[in-house]
Amino acid sequence: MTALSLEFWAFVGVIAGIYTILALGLQVQFGFTGLLNFGHAAFMAVGAYTMAILVVKASFPLWAASLAAIAAAIAFGLLLGLPTLRLRADYLAITTIAFAEIVRYVAINEQTLTGGPVGTIALAGPGRAASYNAEWLDVQRTVQDWLEAVIGDHATRDVTMLVIVWAVALVLLVVVDAALRSPWGRVLRSIREDEDAASALGKNVFAYKLQALALGAALAAVAGLFFAFQFSFFSPGDFDPLVTFFAYTIVILGGTARNWALPVGAVLFGLIFAGTRFFDFTPFTLFDSADRAYLRLIVIGLILIGLMLFRPQGLFGKREEMVLE
Amino acid sequence: MSELAQLSANGLVTGSILAIAAVGVSLVYGILRIVNFAHGDYLVFGAYIALVVNVSWGGHIVLAALAAVVLTAVLATALEFALWRPLRRKRAGVFSLFIAAIGLALVLRHAIFLAADARPRRYEVDVFQVYELGPIRLSQSQLVAVAIALAAIVLVGLMLARTGLGKAMRALSDNRALAAVAGIDVDRTVVLTWVVAGGLAGVAGLLQGLVLNSFTPNFGFTLLLPVFAAVVLGGIGSAYGALVGGLVLGLVTEISTWSALAGGAPPVYKPVVAFSVLVLVLLLRPQGVLGKARLL
Amino acid sequence: MSPLLEAREIRKRYGGVVAVDAATLSVEPRSITALIGPNGAGKTTLFNVVSGFARPDSGSVLLGGERIDGRTPHAVARRGLARTFQTPKALTRMSVLENMLLAAPRHPGEQLWRLVATPGAGRRREREIRERALELLGLVRLDGLAGDYAGTLSGGQRKLLELTRALMTEPRLLLLDEPMAGVNPTLALQLLDRIRTLREEQGLTFLLIDHDLDVVMSVSDRVIVMNEGRVIAAGTPAEVRSDPQVADAYLGAHAGEPG
Repeated sequence: MTALSLEFWAFVGVIAGIYTILALGLQVQFGFTGLLNFGHAAFMAVGAYTMAILVVKASFPLWAASLAAIAAAIAFGLLLGLPTLRLRADYLAITTIAFAEIVRYVAINEQTLTGGPVGTIALAGPGRAASYNAEWLDVQRTVQDWLEAVIGDHATRDVTMLVIVWAVALVLLVVVDAALRSPWGRVLRSIREDEDAASALGKNVFAYKLQALALGAALAAVAGLFFAFQFSFFSPGDFDPLVTFFAYTIVILGGTARNWALPVGAVLFGLIFAGTRFFDFTPFTLFDSADRAYLRLIVIGLILIGLMLFRPQGLFGKREEMVLE
Repeated sequence: MSELAQLSANGLVTGSILAIAAVGVSLVYGILRIVNFAHGDYLVFGAYIALVVNVSWGGHIVLAALAAVVLTAVLATALEFALWRPLRRKRAGVFSLFIAAIGLALVLRHAIFLAADARPRRYEVDVFQVYELGPIRLSQSQLVAVAIALAAIVLVGLMLARTGLGKAMRALSDNRALAAVAGIDVDRTVVLTWVVAGGLAGVAGLLQGLVLNSFTPNFGFTLLLPVFAAVVLGGIGSAYGALVGGLVLGLVTEISTWSALAGGAPPVYKPVVAFSVLVLVLLLRPQGVLGKARLL
Repeated sequence: MSPLLEAREIRKRYGGVVAVDAATLSVEPRSITALIGPNGAGKTTLFNVVSGFARPDSGSVLLGGERIDGRTPHAVARRGLARTFQTPKALTRMSVLENMLLAAPRHPGEQLWRLVATPGAGRRREREIRERALELLGLVRLDGLAGDYAGTLSGGQRKLLELTRALMTEPRLLLLDEPMAGVNPTLALQLLDRIRTLREEQGLTFLLIDHDLDVVMSVSDRVIVMNEGRVIAAGTPAEVRSDPQVADAYLGAHAGEPG
């Protein structure tokens, strides 16, 4: 893949789409309800792994495995939430990271269940590559055929994936946006503002937080599913805490509670992240790929620090909303 | 029984390093009001400074340790002026501080990766020298580490209890507004707290590097959650608590692998033991062992 | 007539400090009762216990004959008890109108399942409560600010908003913690008037904490006095005014103060 080809943009676009869905989940939890959930990547992992394990080990059809994956992530979200939701923001953050790390450790060490550190490629046992992607490829091919009728030769695998991911992302954005603008969403925002006030007005704060966590987890699971479909094979390392940090960067960059800024942030992120792998012109050629990876992360870190220092409301947020915090 | 003795000795080694890292986090908590997510990377910084002195320049490990302490203290102070103080002036809330800490962690760790690459590194020490004390066998690195760590613990404990600075730090940690009213120079105490916390982080990083034998810049994050677990176990806001918490957690995680405990936990799951302690304490007794009952 | 609110032998300590010590009081329906006492007497702690924000160490609280001690704040609020806070908890990054809309009870649009299953019901309720919210805001002259962030309101305006918001919850009993503090005198008088009217026309019951003894004496049917966590007197304003223990409590509290 060369830089700036259609394939390149399709690839960046798919990453951006997956991250939009992931960030949307975080938006519900953090942007609207004020939950500092730092275990978000674990929901993605639970979704992806549940689907893969059910297909390979239990011969589930893809659609059933995918639904089960989303249900599993919701269940995990509730399990996480029940004990931790009454903790203060930063303690909630640390506890959720701990939960996520436990998930990652289990994924690495329970080789027979998850394929271990090399990931789902080993899911079917040593020497046999797992293939849960077969059904997905069929689905994709169907869409691709349809797409060819519309845009002809440009309907490559990556472009097809791009269309599917973004179609889903847009539908989810519309639906979740509507939910967040509703009276239900209003309660979530009040919890972010002042839990005691919300409580005094008769709102069951704990129940609403659980709902936000569950919805966010479901969205993360969908992102995890698309991740699995796009990359075929994945390993525990793909669900590192860094992934959660990236999602936070996107949410904060757009300005918390600005739902339509999420795709913008995700695309920017996709460019920084996926894009810089493929730029083969100076100054990028001065750094080898490992160094570029480190630079990317330094840039993300600086963006986060810079935002907190100079523009905590993000690119699109309103200054007044931060001043009143 | 000898297995238990060995595990306890190992636990003391891990625990004492956790303790000095944890007390740094705890002191800083008094200033920042959040647990500093970047603290693990202050440790890594110290470890790599020591690496430069010890391996690149051929200096003695003691010299490397001094360099680690001093330069990490300098880093911590510089970051106070560049990042934490401006954020406090802007009245940044818990979210903003936490996110800024994450950004800092990313920058520090990957800057070290950039400078030093991902190869596992080790110090110039004799890895084959083993000391036997009864049923316990400790490598030279472990012995050096536990000796220095315990000495540091004693020094820090004395400083906190006996010196004016120590009292000021504890007052600040307890109640900032009251401390200012009581005539404590808050700004000066804050800087000195960072100096102490930074120095402790530097030495903790070096010691952890010694004990791990070989390490990469990721070891800071790997240690971070156990450090937080130690702070929480001992009681957030209590520096003595952090010392106790670190030692206890080190012992608990090592002894959890004891075969007499239903086969013992598999050693790879030791971090999970630490995480579980963290989660359990926060749920059952959030103020920890020595902390004051605060509403979380 | 049985009391609307009863607190029996409430004890609450924080660490080594006994905030409330075997406090017992009752509030009759359709009445305005004042809760007074020097600073640190335990009044706000008592409010916290009654409204569910604090769990009593011992004792019981009954609302309309039903035990509510130990229940969560939202459960207590659902049973018709509304409260305001000493420092008003206006939801600053939401608009004044949104603050009010939140307070409306029985909103199907706030339940995720009902939002999805019967969106029409939610929309209907939203229209209803919007009208009522603007009406209530109009009574305290805040309707012009309905679209503004609550954070831009002055301290006194926030107190008004909190009070109006509490009314929006359609309560039986209102616990008001220093409702006049920071409100300008003319508006304060109007507020007192409104409280009286609400009591007359809608049968609402009020329990208010206030430090302005003139206000207290003029508007209350009954006065309860607390000192050092205990209830030391209860009766009509006249009875309480002439009670020597009350004078002692206030003098004692002021003894150490300069001037």
